[in-house]
Amino acid sequence: MARATRDRLTNVVMPLAVLALFLILWEYAVAAGWLRRLLFPPPSRLFSSALELAQVGVPVGKTLLDHTAVTLARILSGFAFAMLLAIPLGLLIGSRPFLFHATQPIVGFCRSVATLSLLPLALVWFGIGEASKIFLIGYGCFWVMLSNVIAAVRLVDPVLLRAARTMDTPASRVFSHVVLPAALPRIAAGARIALGVGFMVIVGAEMIGTVTGLGALIMEARTFYRTDITMVGMFAIAILGISLSGVLTQVERRLMPWIAHEPAGGS
Amino acid sequence: MMQSGLTLRSIVSLRSKHAVIHEPGSNAVSTCPIDGDGRLSGSSAMTQPSVSPAIEVKGVGKVFATDAAGDAPVLGAIDLAVSDCEFVVLLGRSGCGKTTLLNIVAGLESASSGEVRVAGQRVTGPGGGKGMVFQQNALFPWLTAARNVMFAAEMRGVRRQEAQALSADLLRLVGLEGVGSKYPAELSGGMQQRVAIARALALDPQILLMDEPFGALDELTRNEMQDELLRVWQARRKTVMFVTHSIWEALMLADRIVVLAPRPGRIVLEQTITEPRPRARSAPSLIALHEAIWQALQVS
Repeated sequence: MARATRDRLTNVVMPLAVLALFLILWEYAVAAGWLRRLLFPPPSRLFSSALELAQVGVPVGKTLLDHTAVTLARILSGFAFAMLLAIPLGLLIGSRPFLFHATQPIVGFCRSVATLSLLPLALVWFGIGEASKIFLIGYGCFWVMLSNVIAAVRLVDPVLLRAARTMDTPASRVFSHVVLPAALPRIAAGARIALGVGFMVIVGAEMIGTVTGLGALIMEARTFYRTDITMVGMFAIAILGISLSGVLTQVERRLMPWIAHEPAGGS
Repeated sequence: MMQSGLTLRSIVSLRSKHAVIHEPGSNAVSTCPIDGDGRLSGSSAMTQPSVSPAIEVKGVGKVFATDAAGDAPVLGAIDLAVSDCEFVVLLGRSGCGKTTLLNIVAGLESASSGEVRVAGQRVTGPGGGKGMVFQQNALFPWLTAARNVMFAAEMRGVRRQEAQALSADLLRLVGLEGVGSKYPAELSGGMQQRVAIARALALDPQILLMDEPFGALDELTRNEMQDELLRVWQARRKTVMFVTHSIWEALMLADRIVVLAPRPGRIVLEQTITEPRPRARSAPSLIALHEAIWQALQVS
């Protein structure tokens, strides 16, 4: 009982208290003149800006929710395309040493290309609309995901494969019943990393050629010296990221019920 | 000695003085010698030579592809015959080739020379009634204990419902009743190895190959597991080939201990243990054998 109370205190109450303290200090630092209001708008100001954004919108009519929805749709489309291509391809490459060695330089190279450096090319290839943004997100997610899926398959513990062989498991079932589940935790970790990449790419991709999306909002606000709106946009991106990560966690729990019991805590 | 064995665990302690009845015509490997009461009798080290041995290792040598030209081979030319229901322990220090030999018998590695026969059939690959228990972590982490055992049964064509019943039976046999729904990560190391043994038995194997199965366990758990293994072995008589580097483990378990020395891997001592089971570590004959085996291990 005492132990549970103490755990709750350290795990829930303490982080909230630290957060509150941080916000209060920030507010006070601005009020006391230690920080310039224009550069570091205090939390109270951010709160009213958020309300303004949610109700009126910037530009007028485009509320915070609209921007968030647009960004979310772009991330999810790019991410989904990347998953659909990278998972089967990665499983194939990972399970064939020949293909692995043949493709390693390409995968390594394409993965190392900073995705946003493709922005000008993407604009030329796909125009200024949605396609170029989804392409960029898809590109960033794809190579990260591909290299993770390949690694996941190659890192399957050989003793599991040996065990399967001693049990006369046919090759087709070795893949579906041993390699796939054994690789799943690393594949899921790859999806998580890819989503993170998607978030990094989206903000940059939205800074050019559009007025909707959280990246565009942040960029627009800058031109009007609305640091408060930039910050609200940043928070919206963070909250979106945390929410998607939470969704991913739920999917992982469903897909891999055994992970929760592993000593290291999984993934 | 005999009396205590008879009162405690009757089956295995029936030693060499009791006649081993062997039907001349039957050479099916999984049929173990049975005594007059219809029980399985213990010593099989004296099985008639006319029947093909459960495991026959003939001139098996192994050279790794990475070895330099001048290196001594991992295995020289090993000859070894294991009879039905015999419990043979391969003992030696790290690098003596005992695990390589076991893997060759399992069909997981190929021999560079010589051949292995199981029940008269030449070994060309894994499976086919050669159950294997690995050192650790060879259970499928995504399957519950019961499902791990069922996997083995289903792979040899047992229907799901029967596999389920078999799995429950085997888990009960290894002392894990009621934990079938747990994942391997929820079980202790000893319990995981019990599941691994149950899984190997679910193959209904002719022979059971065990590669240091208790090597990663603490000493107390290890001792418990040795007792458990003997109990299971008495219930489901199998021919066992067991690898260890623990002299005491070998002395507690084996009908016959085969001591290997490294580079080239070769047999330096074969010792039949006549001490009836259950064995006490304090038994004078075992202490004397421990010394003899220790001496043999120094030879290398």
